[in-house]
Amino acid sequence: MQHSKLLVSQALRTLCGNLDRTGDPLGLKRPYWHDWADGFNLPARGENLLFTARMYPMLPYVVQATEMTAAARPLLPALGVKALARLAEVVTALAAEPLLRIKARKAQDIRRRATDALTGMAAALQRSGQHVAYLGEEEPYSGVLLYDLGMAEAVQPVIRKTGERLAASGARTIITTDPHTTFMLKEIYPQHLPGFTPEVRHYLEVLAETDLTVDEKVASRLPRKVVLHDSCVMTRDLGIIDAVRTVLARLGIEVVEPRNAKNDTACCGGPVEYAYPALSRSVAAIRSRELAEFAENVVVTCPICLINLMKHEADTGMRVWDAGEILFQAFGRNGA
Amino acid sequence: MRDDQQIRTDLLKEIAKCRACRFCVDVCPTYQASEGVESLSSYGRLQITKYLLNGMLAFDDPLTYCLYSCLQCRRCERMCHSKGQAIDICALIQAGRELLSARLAEGGSHAAL
Repeated sequence: MQHSKLLVSQALRTLCGNLDRTGDPLGLKRPYWHDWADGFNLPARGENLLFTARMYPMLPYVVQATEMTAAARPLLPALGVKALARLAEVVTALAAEPLLRIKARKAQDIRRRATDALTGMAAALQRSGQHVAYLGEEEPYSGVLLYDLGMAEAVQPVIRKTGERLAASGARTIITTDPHTTFMLKEIYPQHLPGFTPEVRHYLEVLAETDLTVDEKVASRLPRKVVLHDSCVMTRDLGIIDAVRTVLARLGIEVVEPRNAKNDTACCGGPVEYAYPALSRSVAAIRSRELAEFAENVVVTCPICLINLMKHEADTGMRVWDAGEILFQAFGRNGA
Repeated sequence: MRDDQQIRTDLLKEIAKCRACRFCVDVCPTYQASEGVESLSSYGRLQITKYLLNGMLAFDDPLTYCLYSCLQCRRCERMCHSKGQAIDICALIQAGRELLSARLAEGGSHAAL
């Protein structure tokens, strides 16, 4: 907790600076978020717009940025807090992009999982008869991190810009891929943009209303039994509880409920990873041990839960699956 | 946007509704992870916010840690609502952060509630 004030201050300044400079929370200028869609040939306009808000593609960079921040902490006593903070600002503005890109390339596992998850979601939507559009390089960020950190004023221009871009897509329904973006679009955007009228639905809500099933051959490729880790935002903020259970059950997967489930779910610790990785890791360890008691395969529906619980795969022996990864196992790239 | 003074007054009114039953403390994941540090619990954070607002505490490193380590997971609210109190604890902590964050982003060390 030493230097906490300055570290939070630094995190906020970096985030705001990145968004101002590039429109991206990580400050990356070259698009890194649309490669997963190569080969899908998704149109840029349509009634249903698939909106990732870059959350899954961001994961390898988030993992590396967090590790780089943690690695710099021991320098605090040597450099002094203010010198380090200033250095971090300059480094972030000038050198973060190449450094992050090089390091993120090494994060092969999370890169593959994030790509598989989005691919699985898109393939399952196609398989269930949903025609979705995707903005590709033009896809904006939702501003959720600014909102979570209490940057009420700084988030407003992001909301305006993103809201306008989404409205210009002509979509009547926006299909989101993660609970945090769903919450922003459903609950926060309408408060700031009275004209923001598209219907916002999480992809699992959409899939749960279809008759998406698999044959026995496909079912044999999937985990037989999983324990479900409910996301706090998905359950307590959005009230979306049964959708993932319905989708998994239709794929022939037995879903086990852990001790703290549904509206009583326990947090993965992810939201404080940016500033307090040790605390975040302790919270994740408690939840991981709890989940590992029930099954060796854990399913999550949130990218933040995925990267935070993944850290404890080795010490608990569990395998954490994003629900999108399960869909990828079932439907591959083309929903076939 | 409402001015800061009005937000402070409203926040203090809401926090005053807490009857200090502490049922929310045990379910807080950061309280569990810290092995029982009450200032890292939902109730602890509400008290910190209250005393920062009324000037009894000065904003420093440990208090920053306490306020910004809230996961905003709303598990405490679920408990509070089930006990008939219905205080939106995370929303109050978030409102406290909103008073602080802009100033923290600007300068850091001089930021105060």
